[in-house]
Amino acid sequence: MKKSYIFALVALIGAALVPMITPNPYYIHLVETIMIYSILLFGLDIVVGYTGQVSLGHSGLFGIGAYTVGVMFMKLAAPLWLILPASILVTAVFGAILAMPALKVSGPYLAMVTLAFGTIIQILINEMTFLTEGPLGVKLPKPQIAGIKMDDRDFYWLVCLMLALSMLVVHRILRSHLGRAFEALRGSPVASDCMGVSVYRFKVYAFVISAGFAGLAGSLYAYSEQYISPNTYNFELTVLFLLAIIMGGRKTRSGAILGATIIVLLPKLLDDIEIFRIVATIACALIVAGAIIGLVKKWLTVNSVLVPVVGTICLAVFSYQLESITDWRLSIFGLMILFVVYYLQDGIIGFMNKLLSAQRITYNQQELELERQQLAKDGIHENAFQHNLQTDSSSNQNEPVLVAKEVLMQFGGLKAINKVDLVVKRGEIHGLIGPNGSGKSTIMNVLTGIYTPTSGQIDFLGQTVIGKTSSEIAISGIARTFQNVQLFGEMTALQNVLVGLHHTFKSNLLDVALDTSRYQKENLHATHRAYALLEFVGLGSLAWEEARNLPYGKQRLLEIARALALDPELLLLDEPAAGLTAPDIKELISIIRKIRDHRITVILIEHHMDVVMSICDTVSVLDFGQKIAEGKPQEVQNDAKVITAYLGGTAE
Amino acid sequence: MDILLQLIYSGVALGMIYAVIAFGYQLTFATSDTLNFGQGEALMLGALFGLTLVDGMGMNYWLAIPLVCLFGLLQGGLVERIGVRPAIKIKSEFGWIMSTIALGIIFKNVAENVWGRDDLRFPSPLDESPIKLFGANVLPMELLVISGALFMMLAVEFFNRKTIYGKAVVATFNDRDAAKLMGINTGLVITFSYAMSSLTAAFAGILIAPLTLTGATMGSVLGLKAFAVAIIGGLTSGMGIVVGGILLGIAETTTGFYLSTGYKDVPGLVLLLMVLAVKPAGLFGKTAIKKV
Repeated sequence: MKKSYIFALVALIGAALVPMITPNPYYIHLVETIMIYSILLFGLDIVVGYTGQVSLGHSGLFGIGAYTVGVMFMKLAAPLWLILPASILVTAVFGAILAMPALKVSGPYLAMVTLAFGTIIQILINEMTFLTEGPLGVKLPKPQIAGIKMDDRDFYWLVCLMLALSMLVVHRILRSHLGRAFEALRGSPVASDCMGVSVYRFKVYAFVISAGFAGLAGSLYAYSEQYISPNTYNFELTVLFLLAIIMGGRKTRSGAILGATIIVLLPKLLDDIEIFRIVATIACALIVAGAIIGLVKKWLTVNSVLVPVVGTICLAVFSYQLESITDWRLSIFGLMILFVVYYLQDGIIGFMNKLLSAQRITYNQQELELERQQLAKDGIHENAFQHNLQTDSSSNQNEPVLVAKEVLMQFGGLKAINKVDLVVKRGEIHGLIGPNGSGKSTIMNVLTGIYTPTSGQIDFLGQTVIGKTSSEIAISGIARTFQNVQLFGEMTALQNVLVGLHHTFKSNLLDVALDTSRYQKENLHATHRAYALLEFVGLGSLAWEEARNLPYGKQRLLEIARALALDPELLLLDEPAAGLTAPDIKELISIIRKIRDHRITVILIEHHMDVVMSICDTVSVLDFGQKIAEGKPQEVQNDAKVITAYLGGTAE
Repeated sequence: MDILLQLIYSGVALGMIYAVIAFGYQLTFATSDTLNFGQGEALMLGALFGLTLVDGMGMNYWLAIPLVCLFGLLQGGLVERIGVRPAIKIKSEFGWIMSTIALGIIFKNVAENVWGRDDLRFPSPLDESPIKLFGANVLPMELLVISGALFMMLAVEFFNRKTIYGKAVVATFNDRDAAKLMGINTGLVITFSYAMSSLTAAFAGILIAPLTLTGATMGSVLGLKAFAVAIIGGLTSGMGIVVGGILLGIAETTTGFYLSTGYKDVPGLVLLLMVLAVKPAGLFGKTAIKKV
């Protein structure tokens, strides 16, 4: 078993034993609240930590979970086993209603919409007295199971169980193809879309899952407090949740639990001025000591430590001036947020990991080693290519794969592509050349749905491409690489390819959560296939390296492997040889030839003429957005117009 | 019918305040793709500072306005320096959202401790008896709000379009890196845009203060509504926010009257979600072309 599993197990058993150790209901309730908040934070972390969106509506969602319990109990007297799933579902639906419009555009929209949502929910709960009893709130007893009423300890154990389940489910989601999609869309949205992983869809998906967890946490909270009132679910709570996530540490379960502990204890701490003074003094001493050590060892500069040192000293002095701290509670929260955002970006857990080992936290070396051994042991042989040489040979050799007619792409007054016709035949390598700014990359972007052409027609395998989203086009069989490399930098090479294989997963959320044999099988095959693809481009030995650490030439090859993972009919290579050394180029040429041998049609944009001339079957030449020549490489090379375009016209 | 017209008048006045705050969002979004989640607090501080000047120190309302504007200018600059600049440097969207929220919370809390938690009355500089306009009552103060808000937005627009400093702002908006290479101090432009944005908010604060009660919590909801307006109208369209503001203002006053005052904040969100679902760039916004 892995270290993190054992750690989680020990922590859970420890938590479960709390009621045995102390009979004091105050402490039991405190730990219970921490666990409930942790469940919510697991979910919030999916949105904030993984997809990188900011939600300011999670206290509202938390409230919806709680009120689902209140309403179902009051109006329907529904049993617990019905109420818990219903809270999750209702909250998830609210999450979907919010996320679907808000995530259509990138930018701070989700934060703005969720902020508004949080406020409105509070107003609605207050106003809709026929459903919610308004400001009076709802009183509830502890739930019953099989006719027996739970006492505080029983319920505590139920919360423990829910925490354990949530942790397991979140862990499974995040290591699955869904988790990979969440990370990928943050790493490079454009590349995600072009790998068939719709950025919009998975952002919404992440938010809905996150809302589900908020609903579960809310419902447990309602039973835990046995009283629900609208003012609990306010903006302050939302801010506290976010503080918890960033302070504890993003992308870790332990960070979420630590964050929950901090925000549950913090208000208690701020109730007592004496304790606050002590804490402020200790914090001040720690920061000053850290700054001095940092300065002596030359890790830090005077400028960088000035603000936190002066800030904490002021805070400590200030704490002795105050009579009561409760009035200044919000300012303290605010200061903590500022501090964490700028000085503790990886949170406490991230900071500790960095301190304890030089390794980065994203990929645990040990875990990778296990994965590698597992892969060797399975002994499954996956082909890099799904297409079989024999089965496809029946199709007509000269059948056109792609037919573009009179494509016009206009940016304001500029015609980046001006009525270009392009026919690409099956199985050929079609070169696309032209001086800089002649519209080559624009054609790629139009073909992959990043731009919608102003007019014209594009048919791929007899179906129009126009109007489809990038991810739909990718799934239908057009894969691409990018001129400026667009890898998912923080993911390993293997995982980059696995994102390309996302389309091979048919498992849904339930399969992932329950770790069904269908998911396991798909995952196993995908992993082996990804490895085979890496070997195909010669990156087998670098499979477990983070993409951003690969040398430039290898990154370009990794992009090709990732594109091939889509099982494309048509592969668009945008300057694959740019920045490559001569031996690398030779390797690239042989790889492109092998791809063609697997009957994948290739469109190649390239400035290296030796590459173009040696492997292309047909070459089209663009200049100022217009096609000026087309034909066999030899013909094009001798075309007068082409020579003029490249070398300039003769002076008369 | 008279009642409806009256509701429209006060809706327009309210909407213009939303529009001015939303205008502040646009100013900073234009230069840096960021906006101040504590904009409502800038408004609140402007109103309370104005109250201290007018009520506490007995200053003339009209003379207090420029001082409040100056105060807003400084406050906005401070927010940018502390909260936004470090986030832009590390290219963290999360960073600026969280730090402007944090600063907003701090401002609100400080205001609570300085001015107290109760709402205070702001003495009206104009006659408080309504006048008849097309058969319906309208407060002179409402007319002042509408004209003041329009004046403010036009003045800033004029500045951006006609002066060399304004051209620097526009250049920064078009391409921050290119503007930087052309010798424009883009950092200063961004600070300036925050200062202007808080100035407009503080100005809106002292304009609306005599119409409503003044207090530490007055800003949050207004800031929020202005978000809705900015999204409904489009984050890049000046015309959009005026129309969006008026739309929302009237929707609120009519809902408040015909349905219940409790529900008056609801149409904002519904409208917001609807616009995002149908036309995400806003009613008047242009869809940006993304570059690969």
